[in-house]
Amino acid sequence: MAILSVEHSDQLFWLGRYSERVYTTIRGFAERFDSVMDVKTEEYVEYCKRQEIPNIYTSKEDFVRRYCFDESDPNSIYSNLMRAFDNAVVLREEIGSETLSYIQLAVYAMNKAKVSDAPLIHLQRVVDNIMAFWGMADDDIDRDCVRRILKLGKQVERIDIYARMKMAPKKIKKEVKRLNGQVGKTGLQYSMVRLAHLNYIVEVEPVDYDQIVEDVDQLFDEGTEKIVAGF
Amino acid sequence: MQIEELYQYSDTVNELLARYGVKFGIYKNGTFNEQLFPFDMIPRIIKKEEFTCLEKGLKQRVAALNAFIRDIYGKKEIIRDGVIPEEFIYMGSGYLAQCEGVLPPKGVFTHIAGIDLVQGKDGKWYILEDNLRIPSGASYPMIARTICRKSSPALFEQNSIVDNRDYAKLLRRTMDYVNTGGHTVILTPGRYNAAYFEHSYLAELTGAHLAIGHELVAENDHLYFVDYSGKKELVGAVYRRISDEYLDPMNFNSESVIGIPHIFDIYRKGNVAIINAPGNGVADDKGIYYFVPKMIRYYLGEEAILSNAPTYLPFYEEDMKYVLEHFDHLVLKDVAEAGGYGVVFGSEMTKEEKKKFVSMLKEEPRRFIAQEVIDFMDIDIYEEGKLLPRKADLRAFVLMEEEPVVWESGLTRFSRNPDSFIVNSSQGGGFKDTWVMAE
Repeated sequence: MAILSVEHSDQLFWLGRYSERVYTTIRGFAERFDSVMDVKTEEYVEYCKRQEIPNIYTSKEDFVRRYCFDESDPNSIYSNLMRAFDNAVVLREEIGSETLSYIQLAVYAMNKAKVSDAPLIHLQRVVDNIMAFWGMADDDIDRDCVRRILKLGKQVERIDIYARMKMAPKKIKKEVKRLNGQVGKTGLQYSMVRLAHLNYIVEVEPVDYDQIVEDVDQLFDEGTEKIVAGF
Repeated sequence: MQIEELYQYSDTVNELLARYGVKFGIYKNGTFNEQLFPFDMIPRIIKKEEFTCLEKGLKQRVAALNAFIRDIYGKKEIIRDGVIPEEFIYMGSGYLAQCEGVLPPKGVFTHIAGIDLVQGKDGKWYILEDNLRIPSGASYPMIARTICRKSSPALFEQNSIVDNRDYAKLLRRTMDYVNTGGHTVILTPGRYNAAYFEHSYLAELTGAHLAIGHELVAENDHLYFVDYSGKKELVGAVYRRISDEYLDPMNFNSESVIGIPHIFDIYRKGNVAIINAPGNGVADDKGIYYFVPKMIRYYLGEEAILSNAPTYLPFYEEDMKYVLEHFDHLVLKDVAEAGGYGVVFGSEMTKEEKKKFVSMLKEEPRRFIAQEVIDFMDIDIYEEGKLLPRKADLRAFVLMEEEPVVWESGLTRFSRNPDSFIVNSSQGGGFKDTWVMAE
């Protein structure tokens, strides 16, 4: 019988979160960059605020470069991709070499973008590889618990980012619905109270985005009311 | 055979190896760096008859080495009969007193042996070294073969090359053969180990669980893997990629944080197999190497099929005399070192260095062996559009089930430096696939 250690379940969850974070932030960043370029040149300040990352950038140019590629900035897309890689590389036997290879390719693409004269266009390759990673994970990972925990991480991260970015409530509701279908099948412990509250809060208008972020981030961290979901 | 077909895709194949993370790590000045392991497309080719002879010799050697370890930690007949002086056993760092009287499951000590060989210019093969602790390297030719078969299918279709991708199956059978009942685990020190790629790749291909020390717990004289739901699953075999010293802080180095407390106690009781067995270092010490042909004679009653490189032990007066007289023509090896370290060529030393070395040799004769420098056969590598001759060795893998089984391939390592005989990856060497011909 296949077994999964606590470490691996944790690493799968965070691989899901970080790869989704890289994917969504590059896409969100690309959209904003388009307007930062010549329309709302200070929009990056608002972006940092929403993402709860310190605005350490001196200009929009500095933001573009460092937010994307600064290895020493823990909030940069580069750092998040490296965290995804750190989790992926220790999961080869769970996710398979083929699936892992797309995260490795995303790292190579990121390093290429970093030294490119036109870095932003090269980030598309990173996005492509993350997409391929998810496609391969869906197709190639046989063990249900492995695939589900990975996807759960993706789901949680997506709700977190969407809420931080104050996206349309309809989009967030859709993701919360997906989360409901996913969380119970993973075998992970979670707080039923938090999940119920999350389901309630996304229906209330105006949407309390901060509360959504809190609920989703506390879903697995709270010490009480935890239940072990069945397979 | 059109070898040109192979190297026209050299860059693409190396890119694919990078994609799959075929790397090894090196610690330099306290910093860990991962490097791609350079792969040269031109394989070492071994004809069927030649391999059959190698296979016989390798099986014989490993059978004798296994018998030796069993004897040393048991009746010690080989010492009692004066075949090997006891200094070579008890003064070597590989001997572990804790293993005295311990018989592993099915009596197997050398589950996976990595035997290093070189081929002289006259075509004769010589054994250079026996690696019986945690020999690594089988995963590299295996993954390279998978990719090369894609880049040059016609070459594989038109030539009868034995498929080497069954190594994982052999390994799994080896692990299952000694499993005492329960899961099979590959124990890794973690991601920052030099051979982490191999640990994770073999876990993937064998279906074993890759674990770090604290994921396994000892309880009631058994070993368990703790599942994420908190359930404890019995473990029957541990293919450890951690050296003896760090395997169990309660029995060996108490400062180890990567081992499993009490795993050795469980092993001693026969409730888990440890692959390879602790204490094997007693047999792959460079000093013991000299005695392997004697071991073969002693335990199997046969003459060694494969030769050692001509070796001298300064421990013996007669050999010391020879070493001092022929110093400039010999290679000297520190028995405690590995990975190409502690190897010096007499011809490359300055007068001062030589003087210092000789005095060290006289002071600690047991610490060194001396060998004739074998002018081993060059193998071409393809670099920057040219074919260049380089020194290369072969690591053959012998796996033990009921009988030893030789993997029909091997890791060919080559020196990238034209003037060097050192092929180790940790010193910048690259690797090649090894083709054993089926016809």
